[in-house]
Parts: sequence; C-alpha cells; structure tokens
Amino acid sequence: MAYTPQYYPGSTSAGVNRRKHMAGDLEKLRDISDMDIVAVMGHRTPGADYPSTHPPLAEMGEPDCPVRQLVEPTPGAAAGDRIRYSQFTDSMYNSPSIPYWRTYWAAINCRGVDPGTLSGRQIIEARERDIDNYTKTIMDSEMYCPALSCMRGCTVHGHSLRLEENGLMFDMLARCEMGDDGNVYYNKDQVGVPLDQKVNAGKPMSEDEAAKRTTIFRYDNVAFGGSIGDRKFDEGLIALHHVWERRSKWGFRPE
Amino acid sequence: MGKIHTKKLFVRALNKKFGKDFDLTGKKADYAPFKELGVLQSDRKKEFIEASKKLEGKRGISMYNPMLHAGGIPMGQRQIVPYKLSTTEYIVEGDDLHFVNNPAMQQMWDDIRRTVLVGLDMAHEVLEKRLGKEVTPETINNYLEILNHAMPGAAVVQEHMVETHPGLVDDCNVRMFTGDDDLADEIDDQYLIDINELFPADQAEEIKAAMGKTSWQAVHIPTIVSRTCDGGTTSRWSAMQLSMTFIDAYRMCAGEAAVADLAYAAKHAAVVQMGEMLPARRARGPNEPGGVSFGFMADMVQTQRVKPWDPPQISLNVVAAGTMLYDQIWLGSYMSGGVGFTQYATAAYTNDVLDDFSYYGCDYGIDKYGGWGEAPETLEVIKDLTTETTLYDMEQYEAYPTLLEDHFGGSQRSGIMAASCGVTCGCLTGSSQAALAGWYLSHLIHKEGWGRMGFFGYDLQDQCGPTNVYSYQGDEGSPLELRGPNYPNYAMNVGHQGEYAGISSAAHAGRGDAYALNPLVKVAFANPALLFTWEDIRKGYGMGGAREFRAAGERGLVMPAV
Repeated sequence: MAYTPQYYPGSTSAGVNRRKHMAGDLEKLRDISDMDIVAVMGHRTPGADYPSTHPPLAEMGEPDCPVRQLVEPTPGAAAGDRIRYSQFTDSMYNSPSIPYWRTYWAAINCRGVDPGTLSGRQIIEARERDIDNYTKTIMDSEMYCPALSCMRGCTVHGHSLRLEENGLMFDMLARCEMGDDGNVYYNKDQVGVPLDQKVNAGKPMSEDEAAKRTTIFRYDNVAFGGSIGDRKFDEGLIALHHVWERRSKWGFRPE
Repeated sequence: MGKIHTKKLFVRALNKKFGKDFDLTGKKADYAPFKELGVLQSDRKKEFIEASKKLEGKRGISMYNPMLHAGGIPMGQRQIVPYKLSTTEYIVEGDDLHFVNNPAMQQMWDDIRRTVLVGLDMAHEVLEKRLGKEVTPETINNYLEILNHAMPGAAVVQEHMVETHPGLVDDCNVRMFTGDDDLADEIDDQYLIDINELFPADQAEEIKAAMGKTSWQAVHIPTIVSRTCDGGTTSRWSAMQLSMTFIDAYRMCAGEAAVADLAYAAKHAAVVQMGEMLPARRARGPNEPGGVSFGFMADMVQTQRVKPWDPPQISLNVVAAGTMLYDQIWLGSYMSGGVGFTQYATAAYTNDVLDDFSYYGCDYGIDKYGGWGEAPETLEVIKDLTTETTLYDMEQYEAYPTLLEDHFGGSQRSGIMAASCGVTCGCLTGSSQAALAGWYLSHLIHKEGWGRMGFFGYDLQDQCGPTNVYSYQGDEGSPLELRGPNYPNYAMNVGHQGEYAGISSAAHAGRGDAYALNPLVKVAFANPALLFTWEDIRKGYGMGGAREFRAAGERGLVMPAV
C-alpha cells in the first residue's frame, strides 16, 4: 500500500511511541516461551490441546455466504477454539503501554479480536490460539515492562497506586515478585491462581528507559499541556480540541 | 493568562488520611506493614468482625468473614485510609459512607421521597365557588392545624379508627408557603415556610415573582410510611389526609363529589412530585430517584440560600447530594446492587479534592474573565477554562501519588476532573450547557493524555457526549436542568448524574439565581423541620458517619429492647 496511515499527531516521544504501537511497529525486547505465556493466562494446562466449541469450520459445511468467502477465518476460528482472553494492567508511572493504545494496537493489527478498554485494565478476547499468539506478541515487545505492566484478570487498582520499593507495580494478589537475579517472576496466573512453576518475565525497564518508551503524557516526563503557569499544548491536545469543537457544532444542527 | 492559584486544599486531608509528616509526593511505597495487618488496621472492620461473631450464633448461619475476600487475601494489603468529608472536620471510615451504615444519607433520600408539593389555590376555588365556603387566613390556620394532626396518620372524620403512634411519625409535617406577603403575615408561624425570613432579600423577591400570589403546601409524610411503601405512596397518602382534612376543616359532606375534586387536585392537578414516573423498563413510580431531574436536585440543596456568595460551594454541595442519591442509592442499589458504587460517589465529596480542583478553575476564570457569570458563553472560553482546569487536575494526580492512590479508579478521576470543569464553566458563564460542554471536553483531554478514562460504558457516554450539548433534537438536547437519570444517554452510567446536577446548579449559582429550575422545590426544602442538613450536605454525611445523626422512621418504640 502506497499510503502510510498517520495514526497520531505530534513529534514528542509519547506521540512517536503512540504511532509505533498503533502501527504494530513494535520492538521485540524478550522472548517468553509459549508454554509460559499459556501458564500465566491460566486458561488451560500448558501443552494441552485447545478445547473447542464447535468442529473445525472445514468440517461444518458452511452456508454459501459472500462474507464468509471474503473473510478468511483466523486459525482459532477455523479450528473451533473457545473465546478466551488476556488482560493487562499498566501503571500510571510510565508504563510503556496504556489501555487505549492496547486497544488501538489490537483493533488495527489483530484479526478476530474484541478489545475492551477501562482505566485500570485492558482486555482482549479472541479465539484461544489467536489470543495466545497476540499475548505473546505483547509480552515479548516494548508494549510490556515486567515491573510496570502485568497480566491481571482481576484486582487491577495497582495501576494507580504508588510503586513498591523495588519498582514493581503494587498488586494485592502479589502475582509477581522480584527475583534475586533482577528478573520479575509470575508466581500466580492472571486471576491469582498459584502456578506450579514460576514464569520468568524478564528484567524491568530502567526508569530512564520507561520514560523513553512510555505512551502516557505526564507533566514530569512528556507533558500534554506544559505545567501550571507554563502552558504549551502538545499537538495531540490541539487536535483533540478540534475534534471536540467539531462534535459540539455537529450536534447543534438547528435545521 | 490569568493569575494562577494553587491552594491544594486536598493536602490537609491527605495528611489526615495518611498521617502527619507522611511523604505525599513519593512515588514508591513500603507497603509491607499493611500486608500483615490486613483488615485489622481498620477499627470499623474489626467492629464488623466482632458483630458478625455475635450474630452468627443467633442466625445459625455464617456471615461476615474478610478472609473470604479474593480467595483468602483480605483487604488491607495497603493502608486502609479514612475519608475527610470536604470542607468539614468530619473524618470517617469508608464503610461509614455506605448508605446502609449512614442514617443521614438515608434520611436525605427519605426527605425527598416523602415530599410532595400541593397547591392550595385550586382547592380554595372549589371551596369558595362550588361550595360557597369562606376561606380566610383563620380557616387556613385551622385547616393546617388539623392537617398536622391528620398527615402523620390520625383520624379526623370517622369513628373507631386506628391511628399511628406519634412517636413513630414525628418527622411528618406540612407547612405552607406563598408569594402573597399579606397572606403569609396572617399564617401562624408554626405552619409557614417564611420565604422572606429564610432567603436573602433578592432571592426572596425572585422566588415570589416566579410563583406569583399562589399558595402551596410542602407535604412531608412520615418517613416510616415511605420506607415501608415507595415514593408513589407519598402523593396518595398526602391526598387522602388532605381530603379528609378539608372535610373536617370546612364541614363538608364526606361523600359529596366536590371531595373528589379536592382529591384530584391533590393527586394530579395541583401536585408537584419530586421525581417523575419512570417507564416500564425501569419500573418505578413517581418520587423515586430515577425520576428526580438534575434541576430539582439542584433546588433541593439549600447552600445557595445560606452561602450565595460562594457559587463553587453551592455546586459542590449539589454534587454531594446528587452523587449519593444517584450513584449510591439509585444506580448502586435500585439498578444494580452491592457495594462498589459508593466510592464513585465518595470521591466527589471527600478529601477536598473536587473542592480544590473547582476553586482552582474558578479562580483562574475569575481572574481572566472578570466575575461570576461574566465570561462569554463561547466554545473558545469553554475550551480555555476546561483545558486549564483539567491540566491542573491531572498534574495534581501526577504530583501527589497519594492523591492518585486515593482516587484509585479511573472513573473517579474522570468524574472529578470533569465536574471541576463543569463547575468552573457553569459558575463563570452562567450557562448549564456551557458547563456540560466543559464536562465533556475534560473527559476527552483526560482520555487523550493518559490513554485511559473510566470503564467501557463510562467512556462511551462521554466520548459521544459533546454532540448532545447543543442539540436541538428533543430527545438529545434538553437543557441540563431538565435532564435526569433517565435521560437516554445517561441512564446506565455511575459517576455522572450527581455531577450533572452539580454543574447545572453551578450555572445558576454563578448568575446569582435563587433557584435552578423550580422555585417551589427550593422553598419546600428550606423547611426548617426537615431532618437532613440540606444547607450543608457534606456535614450531614459526616454526622451520619460519625454516628451523630438521628434519623426518622425507626421502629424501636414498638419493639422489645435489644
């Protein structure tokens, strides 16, 4: 395609990172094994077959449907997998990704997904083998920092709490721990069920690296609107003003 | 740019919550001490545990056990902090702000549900023109005396009737009010809501001009009746006792058709319900929370009457009333159930956070645009006020991690920041639609800056919201005062409705109006005999939380002692 989408305005690191995430142009930082990803997700025993909710599409004799002919099923849909999920919590303290950008990444770059966006968590639901793959992409990439982001299916208010002294995002269920080797380990799955074996999620980003890779605007890193008494609007804020004004005027319609 | 104020009112509250000399700005915390304490760090949770132990024996079935939380991990893995009721010295535990534990909150809602306003003029016309009876101040005083005997549940006409125990219904009363000063002068003080005495002179004149020389009754039926039945009962109970009182006071025939006219007036033609009836899918009668419009909610709160010089304070008290009623009781219990909704609301009326944010915005606007209600109502001004206020708010959450921790959910933060902008825009422009426009822009700025906002539906409502602010289409574009919890786009979302009530009041507070939507409602809730503290909502909640508030509707009088 000759056209390169302009996903987000601004030349700050936060703006650039937002564009990268939306475009799926993600740097791979680590390699967590498939088995470990499956263990933390907690939907099935690592190595077990995928449970299915219907026979493979090829065996079902699908109706003659132009939409079905146009849209190639994802591997999970073709196999009849269950729909399962992975959900991430991102700290307000310069986590590399943030809920809406997780959703934008998923909606733009992944097929067959149902992303849901909240303040403390972001969920992606998809056919099981598909969500396995998407989750691995996330956890291996710069969207994920083992200290500042965490797979959490529930109890996610740690996103807005102060960090632990060792830099880990607070978690009342203590799903992760900092190892003596400097790596972060999951000792529970995303809903807090203890794991048989700890999963090594790798080393946290340093504070400087997190500040560089983050997509959140903060007044003490990349400011969205300057600071009190010294306002300078980011290009993203200027674009947002435009959107709001247009929406307000469009609603007026006195005809 | 205007002069910048940074009062940081919330710092004192945070110091009280987290402890004196606590580093409120530190981004890292040592949570370890709290991991061992769990719920036992909270006196209230300890009280719950003890109470449950005693009750389980009686009940013969298990009850409260905090170790059942999260598969065996109790709350209190971090510091369980108390809440300071904004602008007051009351500090209570979070549990004390659940409406079940707070009798003042219950009474606030009871005071609304048990109230209807009934016009006197239509009844007087029937009496004079149809029945040829003489209506004078003396007959009205006699009627009101009988009515205050009958309304609590006493008989006035028939023999051998059962009656209610006065000790169970002593909160019930009926007072009249009128725009006719001459008539008001003739009414016995005990039966009059004196507009001239209760309101500042300019507000009294505005109210009397709006209601003309009409006369009204503020009917507050017994709390115990409305708690046993529902809001729809209020006008029926009221109409029955009013009709019987007319029969007694004016020596009418109990069976004549004119009585039906009086009853019809009391039930339909001359009655103002506090809440409209809801459609079948929400299945509530009149005088239930889902039908209480934002404008009525604004008028029930009486801060405007006692602190007319402080528009943000007026608005913040309406926010407090609205969030408790709409979030904690309506959405949190009627429509949903459970405990989670409480803390959407508490964020709006505790720890002086919304106060600080709102005063910041207002100070900025006053300095830049001149005074309350004087800023032009333009998109440019709304954009300026809202952007400055939201960015200030976000910066406080960033600079004070303990503040962020206090508002640990995005919906709390989103509602508070947007409310501060709504209050600011309302107070400065005097327009509730401008306030609403600021509310929506604030949400968008928050979402764009932090890449997160509230929850699924919360975000949906606010991201599409700007289009309904100035819409001319009837089902989209009502003035904010006329919208309510059942407005199409507002019906499902916690963390909004109380704030809408507050920001609609902000516009009128900024203009110096005596009321937001209905002068009759404003006067009725000035009734000094109402039990809840309608002039200071947060104080009332604090009294309830501190167990200093005695509510009505209790049955202890007719039950064996515990």
